[in-house]
Amino acid sequence: MSTAPTTSRPTHPSHRPRTPRRGLPILGALPFLAPALALYGIFLLFPIVSAIYLSFVRWNGFPTVPQIWAGLANYQDIFTNDTVFHTALRNSVLWVVLSLVVPTVLALLLALALNHRLLGRNLLRSAFYIPAVLASIAVATMWTWIYNPNSGLVNSTLTSLGLSSWIQDWLGDPQIALYSVFVAFVWQTTGFSMVLFLAGLQTVPADLVEAAKLDGASAWQTFRNVTLPALRPTFTVVLVLTVISSLKVFDLIVGMTNGGPAQSSQVLALWSYSQSFINHNFGGGNALAVVLLVITLALVLPYLMWTLKEDER
Amino acid sequence: MNAVRRANYPLIGLWIALVVCALIWLAPFAFMVLTSLKSTADIGRSSIWALPEVWRWDNYTAAAERGELWTVAGNSAYIALIKVPLGLMISAAAAFAIARLRFKRQRILLIVITLGAMVPVQVAIAPMFTTLSSMGLLNSTNGIILPYLAFGIPSQVFFLYGFFRSLPRELDEAARIDGSGNWRLFVRVILPLAKPALAALFILDFVATWNEYGMALVLLQDQDVRTVPLALQAFQSQFASNYGQLNAFIIMSILPVLIVYLMFQRFFTQGALAGAIKG
Repeated sequence: MSTAPTTSRPTHPSHRPRTPRRGLPILGALPFLAPALALYGIFLLFPIVSAIYLSFVRWNGFPTVPQIWAGLANYQDIFTNDTVFHTALRNSVLWVVLSLVVPTVLALLLALALNHRLLGRNLLRSAFYIPAVLASIAVATMWTWIYNPNSGLVNSTLTSLGLSSWIQDWLGDPQIALYSVFVAFVWQTTGFSMVLFLAGLQTVPADLVEAAKLDGASAWQTFRNVTLPALRPTFTVVLVLTVISSLKVFDLIVGMTNGGPAQSSQVLALWSYSQSFINHNFGGGNALAVVLLVITLALVLPYLMWTLKEDER
Repeated sequence: MNAVRRANYPLIGLWIALVVCALIWLAPFAFMVLTSLKSTADIGRSSIWALPEVWRWDNYTAAAERGELWTVAGNSAYIALIKVPLGLMISAAAAFAIARLRFKRQRILLIVITLGAMVPVQVAIAPMFTTLSSMGLLNSTNGIILPYLAFGIPSQVFFLYGFFRSLPRELDEAARIDGSGNWRLFVRVILPLAKPALAALFILDFVATWNEYGMALVLLQDQDVRTVPLALQAFQSQFASNYGQLNAFIIMSILPVLIVYLMFQRFFTQGALAGAIKG
């Protein structure tokens, strides 16, 4: 991004410049804020608050049917009777943990490799980044075909390599369906994290790397003591964005397994949606939504506070 | 352009490894293109990397007709072309107020707005459905623009706030001394400087809007208002065994986004840093 040239006009030394405005400063700001706040309030904040309220009622979602206050019944229900919730919760947590490791490490390795001056470097970077611009539902549709048991890319390749014994029903086997979908997720998201790491690598001081090399440090020592510390802020950002995108996973699972087979690939976002709109259990669906909201906030709120604090300085 | 004159074997090894990885990464695309040009019988018979026995270009026309591609692409384009510029203006105005004007509780406001970027759509979707339904805005391309705008605001405000903050304060002071009010400062000074940021956000938001599925799934259920991702999902569930046409339809649905990406690559790399790297 370009930064504007600073004006050469000297600031007034006598007093801090005050915005010449009568009345309350907020009145001047309000016209600029109003449209955003109205939309945000009505279509984002209000639905979230409503979800919290609806998680305490019994309701099937039809406007003509009355909502019955149920207290904590919906929560009791999901924590005690709802076995799918336990699978969904476990899968969501597993997905976050796996995402923090697999695509992140892969992205870092790719970024380190593509930071060298190489022939066709930009083309190579694009190859890894392109899946990130596709609609998740398109990725899901592509990979459903790739995993096709008979004519799909994976099983055909295994056959031609003489590894027929490795052939699986990738999306139809409850033991592995979730991991099969996760592979598509890795393919889709690695490029994005790679770009973040590449940007972060630009901030590594080149003279320090040179100095380390002159002092006879090995490549690993240089990476460990110079590159890695400089990448710390980038790491924070990548990890936070990865957590957020992991908890938002929905399209990919809908498109590939719809939570099946036998609910084995359910996650919280999808189970909440299914309870509300497929099973017409708005109370249960919204209670699940609140659980998802609490997990999300618990994971990202500390980071947000930290960012804005840093910004203060 | 090779800076190293002498052969650098580790680097050559690395390059070969990267090229192999990139080819693996791109294999799904090649597989999809090949499939899209074969007949179903051909797919069952031949090896996956074999060229089509007969090049079935008609898969594309048939898929476009079956999936009502022109209708759904029209809907998607209509939504994106209204939502994206409108959303940018709304976000830019709010970000300008938070970054350049002084009022109480600015920080809290920014935190509350930014939090919206982190919440999965599914948390709010059930009440949103009831809200839009009571407003009579379900199954309407105009209706879905409202929640689209709301959910686009957080990340854009956060990004533009960072950008506006990086502009020197002297600009405002100079403009104020020249007698500019808030509006003139915003329109004449700040917005022109934000052109690159706004251009990057425009492209990114266009792609994000074109790709959106979770909200559309709930809020657009009628056949005639569906967007491209919904049509793609429907195509998969209805004609899953017609692999040639299915892959042709996937290709046609991602083509606009791929073209936009190839034309505006640098915006994507800049946008990836949206609010991520504090400069």
